[in-house]
Amino acid sequence: MFNTIKSMKMRLVKYIYWAGAVLMTLFAAQTAAAQGSGATMNSPASIEYLKAGALWFNTDNSAALVLDKLPYYSDLNFIYGRKAGDYKMKYEGDRERLIGFSTEGGLSIGKGYVWGSFRYDNEVQRGTLYNTTVLDPLRGMPYYTVDSQLSDWYKQSYGLSMKASTPLWSNVMLGIECDYSAKVGAKQIDPRSKVDYYSINVKPSIAVSLGNHSAGLVVQYQNLKQESQTTNSDSQTNQDVFVLTGLGNGYTAVVGGLQSLGIFLYDGNTLGGGCQYSYTGESAKLILSGKYSYRVEDVTSAPSKPKKEGSVKENDMETALAVVFGNENLSRVDVQFSKKDLSGIEYVQILDNSYLVQRWITLFSSIRSTFTDQDLSLRYNFFRGAENEYKWRAGAAVTYNISDDIYKIPYSAMKVENLYMGINGKYNFPLRGMSRIVVGADYLYKNNLKGEYTYGGAEPESHIITDFMTPDFLYLKNSYSKIGGSLSYFTSVSGENKAGIFIKASLDYYKPTEIDDNRTLLSFGFGFTF
Amino acid sequence: MKSKIKILLLPVLAVIIATSCKQFSDIAEIREVEPLSATVTLTLNLGEAPSPQDFNLKLINYSERYEINKSVSAGSSVTVDNIIPGIYTVTASSEMSQDGFTYNYSGSAVNIDIVENNKNIDVTVEASKSGALLLKEIYYCGSRTPTGGSYFRDQFYEIYNNSETVQNVRGLCIANINPLTATANLPVWPGGEDAANYIYCLAIWQVPNDKDYPLNPGESIIIAQMADDHKKPNLNPNCPVNLLSAEFETYVNTTAVISDNPAINMVMAFWPSPTPQWLTTVFGSAFVIFFPEGTIDPNNYVSPVGLSSKNFKVPIANIVDAVELVGNPNQIQLKRMPTVLDAGAFTVGGTYRGESVARKVKEVKENSRVIYYDTNNSSNDFEVMNPPVIRRNGALAPSWNTWK
Repeated sequence: MFNTIKSMKMRLVKYIYWAGAVLMTLFAAQTAAAQGSGATMNSPASIEYLKAGALWFNTDNSAALVLDKLPYYSDLNFIYGRKAGDYKMKYEGDRERLIGFSTEGGLSIGKGYVWGSFRYDNEVQRGTLYNTTVLDPLRGMPYYTVDSQLSDWYKQSYGLSMKASTPLWSNVMLGIECDYSAKVGAKQIDPRSKVDYYSINVKPSIAVSLGNHSAGLVVQYQNLKQESQTTNSDSQTNQDVFVLTGLGNGYTAVVGGLQSLGIFLYDGNTLGGGCQYSYTGESAKLILSGKYSYRVEDVTSAPSKPKKEGSVKENDMETALAVVFGNENLSRVDVQFSKKDLSGIEYVQILDNSYLVQRWITLFSSIRSTFTDQDLSLRYNFFRGAENEYKWRAGAAVTYNISDDIYKIPYSAMKVENLYMGINGKYNFPLRGMSRIVVGADYLYKNNLKGEYTYGGAEPESHIITDFMTPDFLYLKNSYSKIGGSLSYFTSVSGENKAGIFIKASLDYYKPTEIDDNRTLLSFGFGFTF
Repeated sequence: MKSKIKILLLPVLAVIIATSCKQFSDIAEIREVEPLSATVTLTLNLGEAPSPQDFNLKLINYSERYEINKSVSAGSSVTVDNIIPGIYTVTASSEMSQDGFTYNYSGSAVNIDIVENNKNIDVTVEASKSGALLLKEIYYCGSRTPTGGSYFRDQFYEIYNNSETVQNVRGLCIANINPLTATANLPVWPGGEDAANYIYCLAIWQVPNDKDYPLNPGESIIIAQMADDHKKPNLNPNCPVNLLSAEFETYVNTTAVISDNPAINMVMAFWPSPTPQWLTTVFGSAFVIFFPEGTIDPNNYVSPVGLSSKNFKVPIANIVDAVELVGNPNQIQLKRMPTVLDAGAFTVGGTYRGESVARKVKEVKENSRVIYYDTNNSSNDFEVMNPPVIRRNGALAPSWNTWK
């Protein structure tokens, strides 16, 4: 445990170093940018407003960022959040605490535009269950280990992103986006674990603009690695765990002793691409985009003899249309359809115990499970304009989601169909000078349309099914209402430049319709805009 | 400088892309799983034993906890459908009584990969008369203390007279074989092909040779690691067993918690690195009982190729009974025990569960004497018991146990 803390502290120092470097860059950039730009003040509301009006910013194509004509902006956020309540999945904490900060900014350099962001989060989850070895059980990886010991998790993550766009010729632009994410986590009770995760995502792109019409192409490559190591602090007591293969199927194993479960190594690669088309008229503009990616990720348990625990291959596609219209008052309509098809591959292996060989040999591989998730969403947002901010904004959103998971043999299935309907609004109250208070409220209703879970595996009475899979399924199946509110205060630091300071607070309350649980999310933050 | 960086980065990029392409191509052709069929043919090698009409055929995929049962006629083949691709243990078994003897018929094929359709599997069935002495119940996994700690001094081994005649356990040995636990690292033994005719013991404990220890039909002896009342406050109040009435214990020397109890001390015939008691692994050892050929000489040990550990080899022909125990069902394919002694393996499925493995009841005689299954396949013969109980089902203690 000491080593884990020491290691995490060292990482924290590293994160702060990187955060400092990014901030220094942004501060340095601010001076240069302010000299050459109109001195319109940045505030959280103005940043929201300019992003809502941007078409290309929200796509993977960074080459066409210059077409959005985004001004210089940057902000720095510090956040403290808490979650509490029983309405949650088992892997979530009864109580959770998050401390984080993030910074983001963009500016024009010559004829190009660059954007960057950095985020650091430090999270403590109290009272989690049925997650021994992964930082995010919902990231699309069915092969991981669970146990029934109530435990805390400590997690840290940081992410660096950048986008850059530069004209190649007058109407051809090149761009690149890079995202780097590193996470570390440690489960605190035996069987405990230490998890390291990293991913890097590179998206080079090109865009062509002819009059009102623009088109773009982007390709994507992502590499991710995760290492999950399980140990016991009490070496005299071995711990039973269960290695999941999907929908409650899997096998039992032990952490500790001679037969201890080995390190799980995850190695994934993703290739993908997308295309975009946009039209910009006098009072309206639109962008139509589509993208596709193909991921393969192998999971290997690696003590002295590596053994394949499974693999996944995932086909993701998404198509989206965004229409922005209005001049002084801005309306934005987003329609989006996405589909994820993930196949879980398992291997039949036999141990070649020859004296000089002694390794696992794969005899057969097949797709044993499929996980499909589809989303169709429609969002409308209206911004009543006021200078470079909004006076008030209102929005509505509807999302239809269906997830259909099947374990082929022995047959198990989980199907959940939900409809989400939400409304939201914010009002920007001007105060004296350059100060504002923004008050927001939102309401979301999740209506479950269908929910079925059938387990046909070997042990329907095991705690994996009764205490883990079934309660989590009921969580996914429940309808709920969420009501949220937010309050923020912003004031400029000086009337002569863009800098300002803000504080904010928000509260979300989840109440399922069929059970007596609830969940509350509370956050406080402050920050600066430049 | 920039050129040098590019030169360095290019090979790195090339390696990453090549690795990705290999990973993608490896997985591209993998298709959805389909259930398979296989044909199992029984070959009978029964010697003088009579032939039963039908055999119970069992295909077990331990890692999937998936089992298929069929009935097959003697000397015929049967097609089995709905097989999940995987590694299987295929067993055929039957039994028959004739001329006052009970014959067990068993045959097995272990670690059979069924990954393609219509695979042919041959199983040779052999016959044997039921053994007289057998390991009836073994409690090996230990128990939890009230504070959640682990307690492992309460292990016991029950040996039962399953026959119609009096058996003498004088000089009987119990041993755990190498490797200690189910493992992928099986040792290689010297001696070439002849090495396969022996099992290799890590420790051997022997019933004293000082006098006869008769065991009537339906009687059993308890060999305790420590023949004490384990429910005592200074031991483990949560322990499921009181072993004060055990006939034998594997006592080495006294410590703060270990005392010399009323049970007869067994003779430590072979144990190169003894500890105060014979603690066998709570993950499950592979056990044998046998009568040795003469005196066991600890200096007459053998070591695996390339290793220095000391082991005592015992001819398979001398083994009276054998049981292979493992930590969990996935480890059954890591078999240590020769299949001729135990075609399967069994487990309580974890550690410190306060559970035992016990033989299934085959029949109850008119005098309430119980006959237990002994098909030389512990996967078939055993079941998990909670709590462990000594002399379950009315087994009697021998008359010479005056402290029971």
